[in-house]
Amino acid sequence: MTSGIRWRNIAPAVAVALLILLLVGRAGRPWVEFGPQQRVISTNPKMGVHTRLTDEVEPWKIQRTFEMVREMGATWVVEYFLWAAHEPQRGVYDWSHADLVVDHAVNQGLTVIARLGYVPEWARPKDATHLYLDEEGYAAFARFAAAFARHFEGRVHYIIVWNEPNLSQEWGYREPDPAEYTQLLKAAYAAIKAEAPQMQVLGGALAPTLAPAGSEWAMDDLIYLQGMYDAGAKDAFDILAAHAYGWTFSADAEPGRDSVNWRRVELLREIMVQNGDVDKHVMITEGGWNDHPRWTKAVRPSQRVANSVRAYDMALREWPWVDAVCLWAFRYPRPARTYQDYYSFVDGDFRPKPIYEALQRYAAGLDWRGEQ
Amino acid sequence: MKQPGSEAAAAARRLRAWWLSGPSRRRILLAGGLVLAAAGVILFIVLGRGGTLKEIQARGTWRVGMDPSFPPFENFDVVTGGPVGLDVELAHAISEQWGIKTEIVTLGFDELLDAVASHQVDAAISAIPIQPERTEDVRFSDPYVQAGVVLAVRKGSELAGTAGLSGRRVAVEWGSQGEAAARALREDGALAFELLPHETVTLALDALAAGEADAAIVDAISLATYAHAAELAAIGEPLVSDPYVVIVPADAPDLLKAVNDALRTLESDGTLDEIRARWLRPAQS
Repeated sequence: MTSGIRWRNIAPAVAVALLILLLVGRAGRPWVEFGPQQRVISTNPKMGVHTRLTDEVEPWKIQRTFEMVREMGATWVVEYFLWAAHEPQRGVYDWSHADLVVDHAVNQGLTVIARLGYVPEWARPKDATHLYLDEEGYAAFARFAAAFARHFEGRVHYIIVWNEPNLSQEWGYREPDPAEYTQLLKAAYAAIKAEAPQMQVLGGALAPTLAPAGSEWAMDDLIYLQGMYDAGAKDAFDILAAHAYGWTFSADAEPGRDSVNWRRVELLREIMVQNGDVDKHVMITEGGWNDHPRWTKAVRPSQRVANSVRAYDMALREWPWVDAVCLWAFRYPRPARTYQDYYSFVDGDFRPKPIYEALQRYAAGLDWRGEQ
Repeated sequence: MKQPGSEAAAAARRLRAWWLSGPSRRRILLAGGLVLAAAGVILFIVLGRGGTLKEIQARGTWRVGMDPSFPPFENFDVVTGGPVGLDVELAHAISEQWGIKTEIVTLGFDELLDAVASHQVDAAISAIPIQPERTEDVRFSDPYVQAGVVLAVRKGSELAGTAGLSGRRVAVEWGSQGEAAARALREDGALAFELLPHETVTLALDALAAGEADAAIVDAISLATYAHAAELAAIGEPLVSDPYVVIVPADAPDLLKAVNDALRTLESDGTLDEIRARWLRPAQS
């Protein structure tokens, strides 16, 4: 009888433990300790970065990435969510990795801007690239975007439809066509809004380029944006996503139709105003400088730091129409061993680069040069 | 006993008689069919999926993608405006082995692997390292250059490797892979050396050459092209290995073999050494 009494005493605890184990097991994803809700402390609430967690599988690395983003003083993160990974079969969704990424970002107090793209095999012709989506597939993408919006409503508030469609590579090696992209944008916008009316839809995300007319590889981003408006895109996006790379120019270099630099985004803004979108805002969802020792489009590390600080500050103080600046790219899961590694803020082992420490000082209101 | 030749001649006579006796419509249709078939073959060769050696040789041109923004491997010549560099010469040297021409297709670096995988170009040569995660889409040739991060010392230095760095002064470029490797040596390798960050890799190597530092940790290409490279030497194994390779489509094993065969020939006959010496030489100070 004594043992029976003991069993009755511990039975509730055992039941709770089993329930927890069951729930964890059913979650279908590795268990990590999220910890208390964090918040970003920064003097510049427009600071952000583009993270690269698409193929980062270890939960602690996802968590550490967002911790370091927060500790740097950035509030915004752009992350890429692959349609092919999250809808592996038509109508069958797998949000496990996306949930992990979004939940960790939110737990660190970050605002997620979700970039959607990457076509599953079932939605494209055989042998087409993973960025090929013809008109017959627009409805399928729109359904996925709507499902994403429904699943993440309350956790994600911004969705970017596609990426750099003015590059042939990003458009499945077809000729870039702003009217076609606008059709895709319209389909996705309507579907997303039907599911989650508060979700903000970002369009564009154009690659800054001076491609000559008729190029098989790309279309000038300024011409492309006007083409989008001509095709009726105005009512199909809430915010323009812009890419702003500085290359070898300083952040203050004058913009011009014949140059690609940080302030080229002002020319995109002019086109928006000309088309009656004066109240619509911009988010810079990619951009920045590279500090590779030999790449011809790179600057010195000290110039990269100075330009990046100036770029964030310019958006804060001089560009009221810009809501967020997300520089490319916080960390690569593995070294690229090319100039691309010189875009990052921390290395693969999470060691902060000098630019990280300088931006951390800037966000804290200290002298970013670290001289004091 | 019938002679084979007479049998063939009889068959030819029968075919000729059928051709001449038939209505002219039959002849027109047959001739049209032959023309269409020939055009189809030509179109397949010209417009069809490239990538295999036979198709490339039939076309007479090897289309090689590269991003001409990475000297000394590839950049636009300020005089001619055309692409020049180690990779450009290597591409031409390889296609000369096959008796065909090279067409350089300039693409953004990020596009190169996808362009190869989707047969937009036949190959990419653009200071590209091996990327194991892309082996489903593309194949990597044998290396033709070893880049990567190395430990550099003055010639005659008693330093023989990273083990002797404790207590020394090590110059690096601020924010570079060399600096990351140096930090890793201090943190993971428990070496206690003084780190001397410089604003550029040239200044870091200047510090080494001038005796202000005992060693420098830099990338091998920057060391090779440093103006006073003759006074310095890389010692030990690379701290970060970084071999550059030719990229070909995953479904073109014959092309991969042909590229590797060509690289071996160019290595053995000294051509590759000549190309490397021409482009990975100290800059004029």
